[in-house]
Amino acid sequence: MTLSRREILKAQAAGVAALVANIAPPASAQPVSGGVEALQITWSKAPCRFCGTGCGVMVGVKSGKVVATHGDMKADVNRGLNCVKGYFLSKIMYGADRLTQPLLRKKDGVYAKDGEFTPVSWDEALDTMAAQAKRVLKDKGPTALGMFGSGQWTIFEGYAATKLMRAGFRSNNLDPNARHCMASAAYAFMRTFGMDEPMGCYDDFEATDAFVLWGSNMAEMHPILWTRVADRRLGHPHVKVAVLSTFTNRSADLADIPIVFKPGTDLAIMNYIANHIITTGRVNKDFVDKHTTFQLGATDIGYGLRPDDPREVATRKAEDPAATTPIDFEAYAAFVRDYTLDKVSELTGVEPGFLEQLAELYADPQRKVVSLWTMGFNQHVRGVWANQLVYNLHLLTGKISEPGNSPFSLTGQPSACGTAREVGTFAHRLPADMTVVNPEHRKHAEEIWRVPAGIIPEKPGYHAVEQDRMLKDGKLNFYWIQVNNNLQAAPNSANETYPGYRNPENFIVVSDAYPTVTALAADLILPAAMWVEKEGAYGNAERRTHVWHQLVKAPGEARSDLWQLMEFSKRFTTDEVWPTEILDANPNYRGLTLFDVLYKNGHVDRFPLSEINPAYDNAESVDFGFYVHKGLFEEYASFGRGHGHDLGPYDLYHEVRGLRWPVVDGKETLWRYREGLDPYVKPGKGVEFYGNKDGKARILAVPYEPPAESPDAEFDVWLVTGRVLEHWHSGSMTMRVPELYKAFPGARCFMNPEDARKRGLNQGAEIRVISRRGEIRTRVETRGRNRMPPGVVFVPWFDASQLINKATLDATDPISKQTDFKKCAVKIVSVSA
Amino acid sequence: MRALFRRLWALVVWFWRVISRPSAFLSLGFLTLGGFICGVIFWGGFNTALEVTNTEKFCVSCHEMRDNVYQELTQTIHFSNRSGVRASCPDCHVPHNWTHKIARKMQASKEVWGKLFGTISTRQKFLEHRLELAKHEWARLKANDSLECRNCHSSVAMDFTKQTRRAADIHSRFLVSGERTCIDCHKGIAHQLPDMTGIDPGWKVPPEFNPDGNVSWHAPEHALQNFVASINNP
Amino acid sequence: MRGQDRLRLGLTDRGTALGAALAGLIVFACGALSQDASPIQIVPRVTGEAAPMSEVPVPALARPVVDDVRRMRNYPEQPPIIPHAIDGYQLTVNTNRCLDCHKREFTEGSGAPMISITHFQDRDGQVLSDVTPRRYFCTACHVQQTDARPLVKNLFQDANDIGPKP
Repeated sequence: MTLSRREILKAQAAGVAALVANIAPPASAQPVSGGVEALQITWSKAPCRFCGTGCGVMVGVKSGKVVATHGDMKADVNRGLNCVKGYFLSKIMYGADRLTQPLLRKKDGVYAKDGEFTPVSWDEALDTMAAQAKRVLKDKGPTALGMFGSGQWTIFEGYAATKLMRAGFRSNNLDPNARHCMASAAYAFMRTFGMDEPMGCYDDFEATDAFVLWGSNMAEMHPILWTRVADRRLGHPHVKVAVLSTFTNRSADLADIPIVFKPGTDLAIMNYIANHIITTGRVNKDFVDKHTTFQLGATDIGYGLRPDDPREVATRKAEDPAATTPIDFEAYAAFVRDYTLDKVSELTGVEPGFLEQLAELYADPQRKVVSLWTMGFNQHVRGVWANQLVYNLHLLTGKISEPGNSPFSLTGQPSACGTAREVGTFAHRLPADMTVVNPEHRKHAEEIWRVPAGIIPEKPGYHAVEQDRMLKDGKLNFYWIQVNNNLQAAPNSANETYPGYRNPENFIVVSDAYPTVTALAADLILPAAMWVEKEGAYGNAERRTHVWHQLVKAPGEARSDLWQLMEFSKRFTTDEVWPTEILDANPNYRGLTLFDVLYKNGHVDRFPLSEINPAYDNAESVDFGFYVHKGLFEEYASFGRGHGHDLGPYDLYHEVRGLRWPVVDGKETLWRYREGLDPYVKPGKGVEFYGNKDGKARILAVPYEPPAESPDAEFDVWLVTGRVLEHWHSGSMTMRVPELYKAFPGARCFMNPEDARKRGLNQGAEIRVISRRGEIRTRVETRGRNRMPPGVVFVPWFDASQLINKATLDATDPISKQTDFKKCAVKIVSVSA
Repeated sequence: MRALFRRLWALVVWFWRVISRPSAFLSLGFLTLGGFICGVIFWGGFNTALEVTNTEKFCVSCHEMRDNVYQELTQTIHFSNRSGVRASCPDCHVPHNWTHKIARKMQASKEVWGKLFGTISTRQKFLEHRLELAKHEWARLKANDSLECRNCHSSVAMDFTKQTRRAADIHSRFLVSGERTCIDCHKGIAHQLPDMTGIDPGWKVPPEFNPDGNVSWHAPEHALQNFVASINNP
Repeated sequence: MRGQDRLRLGLTDRGTALGAALAGLIVFACGALSQDASPIQIVPRVTGEAAPMSEVPVPALARPVVDDVRRMRNYPEQPPIIPHAIDGYQLTVNTNRCLDCHKREFTEGSGAPMISITHFQDRDGQVLSDVTPRRYFCTACHVQQTDARPLVKNLFQDANDIGPKP
């Protein structure tokens, strides 16, 4: 008997699975009624569906159903481990209320904004949708058409969407929910290094001497990365862990240096550390001279509120919030000199001793240090600054781009990097770090996409928060939301988001696997295939691209977002959507559908169905008649190859547990910008930040500026929102897994016990959390995983019956346009009072 | 001036005479009554002071206590629970019995020094000293057979049918038999624990333990308890 | 919430009650609303309220299940859930209350199940003499359950219940 490579791979996987599960591999000699076939499960690899860690999982399929999942021993990220969510992946697709047919709001048999959801065929759904889009295009043009995508989109889906929106409909009103999640990180990368995404990787964890968590509760939010931090810290006693947060959380349980600071004052802490490094003479002068330049940032940049908001009028002084002017080291040193230990200790409420210990982790030349951050930094009205201020510390000391020395931005969604950033689904971006405002970039994209010159519009589209405002104001009228639950996730939702969805001028489409708050506020709901019901690819936080096969069929008529996008494109011809002057200049494009132009363009469709591994289904490819995924991937990869974003050949990704780009000559790159580790660094350079033309990284001088809203006499506590271990995304999947639901069945308000007692609130009492914008009812929790300092409350946002975003403020970082979900003022009152 | 001095001197001499032999000058009744009243005032003052220093409010008036151990207590079942009965600092950390209480108060004078010299004036210093501080309390509770726990939690009053099976099992095996005392297992119930490296869980059988006897660390105390019990319940 | 449900069932006529009961088979809900003909079941904790963006009373916080009864796993790789109280259990760099009972050396005295051998493997698959530090934080995988009723029925099937029968 001969075994194919695939079979050997599977057999190995099964063996590993058995080992992990602590069971003996079934031997054929075992007396099993029904034979050994009855026990067999087909195992295949996939990345986890949840967070940006990107764990590898083995998915067991039997009779067309996923029956088990476990951590993949061969996946470098997690080596056999999963967190509780990952272990329950098997159940996420099987909630009994899966959407299995399109639902359109109808009255008397026709679409009506105030109609009831009625099951319709795919043809009726897409035809109605196309008619609405054409109405809007005709009345108001492409800028009234918008799409809200996701960091949970597969790479193919994001890529198909960006093509359809920019080159098809000629609208840049495409933004991903990743805008709420890591836009600040992405902007800071571009501003500092000229290239997005981390230079290091998770392997830094095993090589470092110190971890500093800046506003990241990894113990709950990135549990598997936390196992690697714990492994390093507990296994090597010299290693130190510093945890900075606005309240004490599970990550603080591993902290040697536990720091709880006043919301927003992290900026001052970083400037103090820079000052400490300079005044104690520990600047790595050689590194700073060769590899960095200094800039002074614009100040008083406002809070990204509506331009006529009084707070915005009062605080926005800078013309361009992103502006910088060059300065030198001395000017920088003078700038941070104000941030003395005493002053910063006073401002932040942190003991001087802890601040000094923390500063020494960076200053001590003998100590390697990894800085980690997520939403504490990114969801911050000064998020870009916060990101850049931590790069300052690594650049001043030269602790960067080598094993163990790494400023590392973690991500929340499974493909925030892969789809939102690398593919470029932001309102201003194109693939491979290019932007729509750059004419050369547009030209390059038009060439690769094989569309006429001038098709891609140059003006950036509306970003996430602005899309909601424009929907409400009636300037955005056709809106398609895929794989996300923005009505639950968006800030100030009752005033700024919901009205836009129900605005009679607007047509709202939501594609999702389950009925969500957002879906229920839409006019058309499209049932989506999810995770291993389709072939997919995700890119995790360490630049790892990870591909999986379709393993099971989607239920009912559910179709992947990719299929929906491509099928929708068939309903438009170039004559309907492109301007006549472009068609006159390119008559060969006349009369074609957008499907023909964008997907069946002789390039994307060049791989036949025969190239698909026959052991797996591939619903979209069978429907469209070519290997869609490979075609899209290879076209997309041509953007980055040779430009520092190289991806390997597609088929290779089906064999490996992901590869970290740039993949040059089949080899992944673990650390970028350092000679010997990164093939793009020119010989003799040592370190080269080649994203910037001068090869140097930027050190930015910016001050501490206060949050947009702080507690006062009436609204007297800080509201912080976030997540819990058991529920990811908006809870739409995890809340339907009984074990995860029962582990944490509803949101609650974590509160300091004395604060509760002062207000006469019992543990478990029902309360209202009220802000100037809205309120929710919830229950008091004074114990458990989050231990709040006086004056700060935490409410997770996964619970659709407690929409805490009705209370949050739609203030954003003026540079990245990312919302600050971590700081606004509320009051807490008893419901019974 | 000199006259004034002389009169003052005369007064002192008179006072000394009275003080040195009071019964020669004052009636016995007056003396008894006066002495009693003075005693009441003094004792009352002393006791009031004792009581004031025996409240949670007093304890957390020091930021060392308020910011560290008290914050931790507020997260626990001894701060809020089903019936609303709660333990405050002195309930667990000051003996209720008078002699022990005075002894503990005298001990506390050392803590005043700690306060004056700022031994644990910051969270950082507190964490550094936590193991030492915890060890003192464990040793004290161990030595008095977890007396402050037992002031509220009498082992004989425990209804095993109301406890989880696991708890009932462990309590009947270890607590009722007197092999272990509360603090052996229930360390850190009201505060965060220090580095517990090398500190075994309370119920772990130590090597010197003789499986068929009741040889425990506090056999003498048990003997005394038994004796007291026998004279109280003839 | 559940009280409301009962009320609603009580008020409906027999036919609707039967329909609602059937729907109840699909949606166990805290406040599930069975609208005839509506293709979407309102389950406030996942779909929001029937009147979008509105607010309703919040049910009391669910209580942890502490009956000490082991639950069958959905598949062998599933981390077992914690069936006992863990209130106030400290799991910090200083101490691990879980290990106090589940560590191999302590299981004889505690009667607790020993931590699985899989937890002794380091990142490279090397088996150590004790639990590997990467598995130190038990609650990343092992969670308690509360007495909350599942919101939506999950149609996951046990491997032994589908396909060729063993």
